[in-house]
Amino acid sequence: MSNLNLNVNGTVHSVDVTDDTPLLWVLRDTLGLIGTKYGCGIGECGACTVLRNGVAVKSCRLPLKSVGTAKITTIEGLATSGKLTAVQQAWCKLDVAQCGYCQGGQILCATALLTATPKPTDQDIDEAMSGNFCRCATYTRVRQAIHAAAGSTPAISP
Amino acid sequence: MSSASPSPAPTLDRRSFLKVSALAGGGLLVGTYFRFGSSTAMAQTLPAASGTFNPNVFISIAPSGAVTLIAPNSEMGQGAKTALPMIIAEELDVSWDKVTITQGDLNPAYGRQSAVGSGSTPGNYGPLRQAGATARAMLIEAAAQTWNVPARDCTTENGTVIHQASGRRLTYGELAAKAATLPVPTDVALKDPKDFKLLGTRVPGVDNEKIVTGQALYGIDQRLPGMVYAAYVKCPVFGGKAGDANLDEVKKLPGVLDAFVLNGITGLTSGVAVVADSTWHAFKAAEKLKVQWDQGPGVTQSSVDMAKQAESLGKAAPAPALPSGVKAVEAAYHYPFLAHATLEPQNCTALFKGGVMEMWCPSQVPGSGQRLVTQGLGLAAHDVVVHVTRLGGGFGRRGSNEFSLEVATIAKKMEGTPVKLTWSREHDFAHDNYRSNGWHFLQGGVDGAGQLVALHDSFVKMTGGPGDMAGGGFPFNAVPGSQVQSSKLTGSVPTGYWRAPGDNGNTWATQSFVDELAHAAGRDPLDFTLGLLAAVPGADSPGGPAGGRGGRGGGFAPPKMVTVLKLATEKAGWGKKLPRGQGQGLAVTHTNNAYVAIVADVTVSPQGVLKIQKLTAAVDAGQIINLSSAEAQVQGAMLDGLSAAWFQKITIEGGAAAQANFNDYPVLRMENSPPAVEVHFIKSLAPPTGLGEPGLPAAAPAVCNAIFAATGKRIRTLPFTDTDLKWA
Ligand code: FES
Ligand code: FES
Repeated sequence: MSNLNLNVNGTVHSVDVTDDTPLLWVLRDTLGLIGTKYGCGIGECGACTVLRNGVAVKSCRLPLKSVGTAKITTIEGLATSGKLTAVQQAWCKLDVAQCGYCQGGQILCATALLTATPKPTDQDIDEAMSGNFCRCATYTRVRQAIHAAAGSTPAISP
Repeated sequence: MSSASPSPAPTLDRRSFLKVSALAGGGLLVGTYFRFGSSTAMAQTLPAASGTFNPNVFISIAPSGAVTLIAPNSEMGQGAKTALPMIIAEELDVSWDKVTITQGDLNPAYGRQSAVGSGSTPGNYGPLRQAGATARAMLIEAAAQTWNVPARDCTTENGTVIHQASGRRLTYGELAAKAATLPVPTDVALKDPKDFKLLGTRVPGVDNEKIVTGQALYGIDQRLPGMVYAAYVKCPVFGGKAGDANLDEVKKLPGVLDAFVLNGITGLTSGVAVVADSTWHAFKAAEKLKVQWDQGPGVTQSSVDMAKQAESLGKAAPAPALPSGVKAVEAAYHYPFLAHATLEPQNCTALFKGGVMEMWCPSQVPGSGQRLVTQGLGLAAHDVVVHVTRLGGGFGRRGSNEFSLEVATIAKKMEGTPVKLTWSREHDFAHDNYRSNGWHFLQGGVDGAGQLVALHDSFVKMTGGPGDMAGGGFPFNAVPGSQVQSSKLTGSVPTGYWRAPGDNGNTWATQSFVDELAHAAGRDPLDFTLGLLAAVPGADSPGGPAGGRGGRGGGFAPPKMVTVLKLATEKAGWGKKLPRGQGQGLAVTHTNNAYVAIVADVTVSPQGVLKIQKLTAAVDAGQIINLSSAEAQVQGAMLDGLSAAWFQKITIEGGAAAQANFNDYPVLRMENSPPAVEVHFIKSLAPPTGLGEPGLPAAAPAVCNAIFAATGKRIRTLPFTDTDLKWA
C-alpha cells in the first residue's frame, strides 16, 4: 500500500491503495469519478481515456505510481464552472452518442487532438482517434463533431 | 403515498386511482396504474404533489406547468429514452424543451418494457399516443368547464388550452388540479399523422449533456454507501461446474472480504464468487482462483469439428435436379460465432435488506431478470425491485439476465451490504450467448434467357437459439418450387439474440448469392434483383403484404422494396463504369418490418487492402419518430454489421471460446469507417417499425458484392480477413 497525492481535475487527492492499482480503478472506485469507463483493461478500447498534462492516455494501464505529479483531467473535469467546451457542445448538438459509454474517452481524445492540431484533416482524425473504438460505431458523427469543434478555442490548457 | 397491494397482474382499476389521488392531494391517475408492493419502487413514480395532474403512469403535470414524462424502455443507444416520450409529447401537445424525462423502473403498469427485436417503438407507439391524447382531452375539458364553453371550441398549443372564439388561454399547469378531478375519457381522437409537429424532426438525446460530462448513468457506475465489489468466475468450458477451490488462499489476498462456491441454485450457472473492497482487488483475486472444474461433456467441442459436421449435414440431402439446359450455380457460405462485446461489460448491483432485493440492472428485458431472481432465490416478485439503468450497449446481449441472478445470490449471502458485480472483459467474452454460426449450401439455376428458375438452400447452424432460416422469405419466394431445409449441429455452445438475429448472417449469404446468380446470368445485379422482386407473389399489390416472410418481418411488400432499391441506387449513382480495383455492390433486406437497400462503393488495392468509400442506404421504416436517432441507428447498424463481417469471429476450442479480449476480436475503428455514409428515409405516415436492427443485415453483402465487382473475388466465409483480396 502506498499513500500518494493525485492531482485530478485541479484538486489534489490523497489516496491509499495497493501499488499495482491502475489509475482507472482509483478514479472510479476510490474517487467516485465514474465518467472514466472500464472496457477492456488492456489498452485496446480507449473507454478509460484521461488527459495527463493534456495528452490522452489510457488509465487502465497506468499504475498509480507512474502518475506522479502530472495533472489528470477526466471527463468530469473538462467543463469548467458548468460551461461545456466546444467539443462537448458539438457532441451534444450533433447528437453523437448512441449508448454513450465510449464517448467520454472519445471527447477527451478529440480534445487532445484539437489542442495539438486546431484544424485537423480527416487523416489526422483517423490517426488521433484510432485508439478509441466505438462499439455502437458512431464514427460518422464523431468525425463531423470534431470538424465542427475545430478552430474553436482549445478546450483545456494543458 | 399509499402502496397498492401486490397484485398478480396489472389491471385497470379506477377506484384505486381515485383513492390514491385523494391521498396525494388532488392528483389523478387513470389508465393503467402502478402496482408495486415496495415503497422503494413507489418512490420512483412520478411526483404526485398537491394539484399535480397524473392522467396516467407516463405523465405528470405540476401546477407550475412542469411536465414529466416516463420513458418506459431501457436506453442502450437506440434512442428509446428520447423517442418514446416524444410520442407522448406529440399527442399531449407540449413543447419538447419544457419536458423532463425520467427512466421508468420495472413496473407492470408501463406495459411492454422489453427493448428487443426493434420493438420498443412499434410496441409502444399506440399506447403512448393514447396516453398523451387522453391527458390532452382532459385538460381541454377542464378549460371548457372553467370557461363554460363546449370542449370542441377549444384547442391546444404548446402546453396551453385556447378558447378560439374569445382568445382566452389557460396553461396546462393552471388546469392540472381541475383536470385531476375529471373522469377519464375512454375514446379520444388521435392526431392525424400529417399534423405531427415533433415526430419526424431531429431531437438530440435527452441524456447528451450527462454523457459528455461523465455523469453516472450506467449499471457499472452504481455506487451505494458501504458497497462491496464482486467478481463471479464460471467454468470456461460451456456447461462445466465448480468443484473445490483455493478459497482460504484467495481470502488472504489484498482487499478480499469473502470468497465462496455457488452451486445448486435454480437458473444460476455454478461458479465461484469473490467479494472485495474494490473492483481491482476482486479482479486480481479472481485471477488467483484455482478451481477444480468438472468440465462435463462440452469439452470436446471445437469449431473445426463443427465445420466437418456441417458439411455432412448440409450435403446429406442433395437439391433437386435442375431441368436440362439450365446452368447450375453452387456455392457454400459460412459465418462464425460472434460475441456481443457490449463496451460496458455485464454487471449488476443489488442490496438485500428486510426481505427485499433492490437491484440496479442494465437490462434490455428487466422483467426476465426479475423472474430469474424470484425463481432462483424463492422471492416474491414484489420483493424484487428493479431499477433500470442506462446500458452501455445492448445488441441483444442484455436480453439475457444471468448477471441479475449472480449478483442477487451474492447479495443475499451478504445481507444488508450492497454488492456490485462486474464481469471482467475476459469473462464477458467467455460467457456470452453468441450469435450462432451458420452454413448455407446454395444452389441456383439460370436459364438461357438469364432467368432464375431454381433456388435451393441447405442451412446448418448450432442447435438452440434464434437465427433459423425463414423458408419462403426473399429471394426464395421469387422462385416457384424453391426448397429451404435446415439442420442443427449437436453441441452446447450457448447462442442467443444478436442484433438482427438470423438476418445478420443469412442475408449476407443469400444476398451475396443473388449477386453471384446475376453475374452467372450475365445481368446487372439491380436489374436482376428488380426482376426477382417482380416475381414475388403480391408484387403488384402496392404496399399490401404478400405471402411468405422476408427475413424477420411480417408480410413482405415487394413494391416497398422496389422503392428503396431504386432510391438507394439512384442516390449512389448505380451503374458507373469503374476501373479494376473499384466497385459498387448492392443488397436489400426486410428486417423487423423495415425495408432497407444499401449500395456500397469500395476500393481494393492490388495488394488487397479494402477501403469502403461510401455507403448509401434507403430505408422505409414507416413514420420516423426522431430523425436524428433514426439516422444514427441506420449508420451505426451498417457499420456494426461491417465491423463483425470484416474482422470478428469467435472460435471454439476445447469447449470454450478462444478469443478473450479485443486484441483478438477487433472492432471497426475510425480509420476503417467509410468517409461517407448516407441514409435516406422514405416519407411515410404508416405506423413506425423499429430501427435498431434493420440497417445491419444488408451492409456486409453490399460490400462483398462491391468487392467482387472490384476484384472478381467472392467472399464466401466471414470474416473478410480470412480471404486474401490481392488481385495483382
Ligand atoms: S479499458 Fe483501457 S483501453 Fe479499454
Ligand atoms: S456510443 Fe456506444 S460504444 Fe460508443
